[in-house]
Amino acid sequence: MLKAMINAFLNLFRPVRTHNYPAEPMPLPPAYRGLIEYNEEACIFCDKCEKACPPKSIRFFQHEDGRKEYRYNAWLCIYCGECVRACPKPEEALWQSEAKARPALKADNVNGGWFDWEAECAQSRDDYAAAKKAAKAAKKNEGA
Amino acid sequence: MKKTVQIPLGSQHISLLEPIRFKFECENETIVGVDADVGFVHRGVEQACTTKFDFKQVGFVVARVCGLCAITHSLSYTLAAEKLLDFTPNDRIRYLRMLMVELDRIHSHMLCLAHTAENAGFEALFMQIMGDRELVMDIQEAISGNRIQFDFIAIGGVTRDLTPEMVTLLHKNLDELSGKIADLIELFESNWSLSLKYRGIGALSLEEAQIYNALGPLARAAGLATDVRVETDDFPYEALGYEMMLETGGDIHARNRVRLREIMNSIAMCRNIVGNLPAGEIMEKAKGKPKGEVIVRLEAPRGELFYLVRGGGQNMLERVRIKTPTFSGIPAMMEVFKGSRYADAPAILASFDPCMSCTAK
Repeated sequence: MLKAMINAFLNLFRPVRTHNYPAEPMPLPPAYRGLIEYNEEACIFCDKCEKACPPKSIRFFQHEDGRKEYRYNAWLCIYCGECVRACPKPEEALWQSEAKARPALKADNVNGGWFDWEAECAQSRDDYAAAKKAAKAAKKNEGA
Repeated sequence: MKKTVQIPLGSQHISLLEPIRFKFECENETIVGVDADVGFVHRGVEQACTTKFDFKQVGFVVARVCGLCAITHSLSYTLAAEKLLDFTPNDRIRYLRMLMVELDRIHSHMLCLAHTAENAGFEALFMQIMGDRELVMDIQEAISGNRIQFDFIAIGGVTRDLTPEMVTLLHKNLDELSGKIADLIELFESNWSLSLKYRGIGALSLEEAQIYNALGPLARAAGLATDVRVETDDFPYEALGYEMMLETGGDIHARNRVRLREIMNSIAMCRNIVGNLPAGEIMEKAKGKPKGEVIVRLEAPRGELFYLVRGGGQNMLERVRIKTPTFSGIPAMMEVFKGSRYADAPAILASFDPCMSCTAK
């Protein structure tokens, strides 16, 4: 009891234990799990990251000319690093940086916008598969 | 004429920031009957695990069941999945997993102690314990890279290795923490609001604990020697200095004492784990698809956590059943309320450390 009272008195002269948060940034640990970063030049488009991602925050958009485009939703990402683990070329094509995601703004349209993107990605793949199938069938007919 | 009056507590109450509703049947000030209602935060995790996610991803999903015992949930699932895949991890992986679970126990117990102190009208101690808890959180943050959702455990091993800097930080913080916990033990013993006020309140006898299947610190405070850590052999707890902390009082004071002594034991175990860490890989290949049915029990900070996982040789699992400590402890919890005063109900409730997020899933 006496010790607690002495401690309480001494606390008046000790520095505060809280952070002055918005004014001073919070200290992050080394090797903090931050944003997933991507380098298109090294990517081999195996789609393993897309398959491994638990919240499905990585999607590839299929262009008509066969090119694939990487899309990533930093606000849906849980920063587990599973995509980097699944990547055949980690650190070159895909890696986890120590940078934090910035807060989402209304202009980003995080939810609705991403749902549209997801639907677009799924549609683009279906279209591409259908076009490929049709081209194959046409080629077969030509041959016959 | 009816002699009793019904008083509700919850589903939102300032003394407990969790959505649970109790209906107390009170005669004057004394509680004579209790009815509990859980399930306000149902999120359909079990269904999602079997319809939306591959078995490799489920470990990250179940970690989101609860913020405090995230690592215990993901470890339980991972153990179950590895048993289905017939995979045994090496000793280094097992030790690293155990280290994180014990650190988790320390911070969960400290949160509960802080809430108990707050409900005794001791706001300053609440702030102090929450401040000291940062020491453990810092270690976990340094090891896993995340503060709450660690995502440290995956099927086949753990995702990050322990570096010498982390070991130095761990020893430094744990040394500081053990001094603070020793002070806290003294405070919980000698302070009027914490010891005198809480002796004999919300008592659960040994017979009642056996009848109502109490578990975790609630049972150990009543003298019932039950702990999954000694009942299973998934982890070498006894080789690393595990001791069972038993009290006989069964009241709030005894529960606090059990938690404080368990923190001390966990600190000693963490030091032992880091001191005797075997060499080896941190990630191994676990091949195949889960087939069959398995149950896993693990001691979460609040008691026994039970997982049932069934797979049919597919990527998607057939069934994931999670039975959490609070859910299994509700009968014993309700028994404790009977006979105590209504004014003590918030304090008793905080001393159980109920986790509604886990229970309702």
